Amino acid sequence: MERSIDVVERERMAKMATPTTSNALLLHLRRRLGDWPLFVLLVAPNLLLLAVFTYWPLVYNAYLSLMQWDLISPSKLFVGLENYRFLLEDSEFREVSRNTVVFTVGTVGGTVVLGLLFALLLDQPLRGIALARGVVFAPYVLSGAAVAVFWVNMLNPRFGVVAEVASWLGTVSPDWLNHPRLAMVAVILVYIWKNVGFTTIVYLAGLQRIPKELYEAATVDGAGMLERFRFVTMPQLGPITLFLVVVSTISSFQAFDLIKVLTDGGPVNATTTLLFYIWEQGFVAFNAGRAAAAAVVLFALLAVISLLQVRIGERRVSYD
Amino acid sequence: MPQNLTRRRLLLALGGLSGVALLAACGQQQATPTSAPAMTGGGAAPSPTAAPATSGMATPTAPAVVKTPGSTVKVVYWGSFSGNLGEAEQGMVKRFNESQNEVVVDYQYQGSYEETAQKLTQALAAGTTPDIVLLSDVWWFKFYLNDVLLPLNDLFAANQIDTKDYVDPLIEEGTRKGVIYWVPFARSTPLFYYNKQAWQEAGLPDRGPKTWEEFVEWVPKLVKQEGGKTVRYAFAHPSAASYIAWLFQPVVWQWGGRYSDPDFTIRIQEAPAVEAGRFYLSTVRDGWAVPSKDIVADFVNGAAVAMMASTASLRGITKSASFPVGTSFLPEGPKGFGCCTGGAGLAILKNKPKEIQEAAFKYLAFATSRENTMWWSQNTGYMPVRKSAVQSSEMQQFYQQNPNFKTAVDQLPKTRQQDAARVWIPNGDQIIGKGLERVTVQLEDPGTVFADVAKTLEREAKPVVEQLKRREG
Repeated sequence: MERSIDVVERERMAKMATPTTSNALLLHLRRRLGDWPLFVLLVAPNLLLLAVFTYWPLVYNAYLSLMQWDLISPSKLFVGLENYRFLLEDSEFREVSRNTVVFTVGTVGGTVVLGLLFALLLDQPLRGIALARGVVFAPYVLSGAAVAVFWVNMLNPRFGVVAEVASWLGTVSPDWLNHPRLAMVAVILVYIWKNVGFTTIVYLAGLQRIPKELYEAATVDGAGMLERFRFVTMPQLGPITLFLVVVSTISSFQAFDLIKVLTDGGPVNATTTLLFYIWEQGFVAFNAGRAAAAAVVLFALLAVISLLQVRIGERRVSYD
Repeated sequence: MPQNLTRRRLLLALGGLSGVALLAACGQQQATPTSAPAMTGGGAAPSPTAAPATSGMATPTAPAVVKTPGSTVKVVYWGSFSGNLGEAEQGMVKRFNESQNEVVVDYQYQGSYEETAQKLTQALAAGTTPDIVLLSDVWWFKFYLNDVLLPLNDLFAANQIDTKDYVDPLIEEGTRKGVIYWVPFARSTPLFYYNKQAWQEAGLPDRGPKTWEEFVEWVPKLVKQEGGKTVRYAFAHPSAASYIAWLFQPVVWQWGGRYSDPDFTIRIQEAPAVEAGRFYLSTVRDGWAVPSKDIVADFVNGAAVAMMASTASLRGITKSASFPVGTSFLPEGPKGFGCCTGGAGLAILKNKPKEIQEAAFKYLAFATSRENTMWWSQNTGYMPVRKSAVQSSEMQQFYQQNPNFKTAVDQLPKTRQQDAARVWIPNGDQIIGKGLERVTVQLEDPGTVFADVAKTLEREAKPVVEQLKRREG
């Protein structure tokens, strides 16, 4: 309170102060142009970078999506909406869309739920908890390719650790990464293993920000452990959950390195997600138009999802 | 002290920094012309010394590429080999650089064949291409279609290299309408590999099966089970990414079919190819072959006792296997023998200063010369690309000591070029490969699968057919 009075006071003083002549000119200019020149000056470098590396590629990509082009030949063939029509009718693209939904729901759900669980565990004042926190977070900072190579070896059906453990238990480990259905499960699990550290850390920070008084009050009101979680922890973590879902969804759509090294999108197309498909169409099949059209679809999809999440956030999440 | 940093000083410092960056950028641009001294005045005008090919001077030795003695031409070479093969490729460059002092080859590893092609595509857009590039059997044609590869006939003539000494089917693959664009360097064929120890335990003769039928008879002796689990398979199929479409190519021929005609008429959906596919299906369904993401690892570790794989893996496999390795011709199918070529060759980029192209050609000629193709072959398992090398007493002696290396050379006269659908349709290899995964992994019927594959291939072939018409008339 004190501080804001101080600011108002200072502004009043500044207005009353009589300007010198050079200042008068500046003031005059400033009155005419407002804060625009300064605004432009400050914003220009960033805007320029965004324009060159984000907005222009976006526009150019939309243009390419109307072309048939192999990325080398000097001429591009205009085909209108043909690439979009192709995607609509292509059974492979339908499979890819289905995979993307499964992968996104699996990884976002997995990292958020497990992250909360780990955060609750790691919030306990136990011995060695700092080490445990480090262990949970460690995979997140490893390179995706390294993690994938590690898991390729772990999951090898003939020499891998997982197969070895399975044989102790008297069962047979399937060829996870080369199995029509299990490959997707394996990729999702590895993705969660790598990324759960991030959601855990963010949730942990959120948990530690919840005022102790709220729990005390709830306890006084006779709330048990589950009720405290249901009526204090959950609502307090609302904004963080929203943030994590948005961020995880976007990064899940961008997953590439794990998929490339673990399965190469296979077997057949079992683990090909939308982003992987865009890469494959663009840089393996050299079909720039089709890849660009798929990228536009991905862009639209992400825009809609982000919008929905923000809407839900406004209605459901309390920031108090 | 932090007070020392005023706004003015900060701005000055920033200005200074950008100045340095600018200088560095200029310096880089200047560095290129100095390494090619004859190239003042732009790439179009050939300098007198750089054009000996057309000047008609009948010099007994190959024409020199640089005017001033002591100066060197730098050539950038993009290659694709890693591990054992990568060491050999770097060894070749080193041998070249040490053999003379006019040209320095700068070898730059780019990743797999696919990644090299991707990067070359990007480099073409950015105008930062290498001078010489290694392109695989499925990729060179794309760049030929887009007319970015240099015709090499004149350079062969100027350097007095007899192209007839290159093994015919190999050099012919890179020749279009009498013009050579793609020179065989690391060329391979599939071989049948077998685990001699397992063969001996099973009481089988020390040779590969003559036919697939015979192999199927041997299979029960080779497969091992423990507690209801197969711990040793008789055979392994690779994934699409490991080129199953290349290894299935000869099998299709052995069944009397083909992927396509040279004019892109797709034939994979026809009965003979489908029958070959059904054979593949049976190998997995009957439990003796395993679809694997790494057949070489499975073979070397004894989890599969036979496989088809490239000659190029021979050196590596022999080194890492703990048992004696045998190689043989591919087994015959109901319609006899069939085997294809594969691997990669060298190409030089168009639109480069003549001097650079000549320097690049020096390396190309060196790497595929009689002596060096022998060295390369003995160190990798790839086939010698020169007739004179194959017939040389050194090579014959080497074959006596390493009979496995001879299999590929003996098989070579019976090989043929792959069908257009796999090598010339963009992504054709992966389209067929994924279809084969549907058979070997998902156990779908090849009749349905190959019909789907044929539809996709037909669709993807259209732009190539049009492009080819424009290119060759």
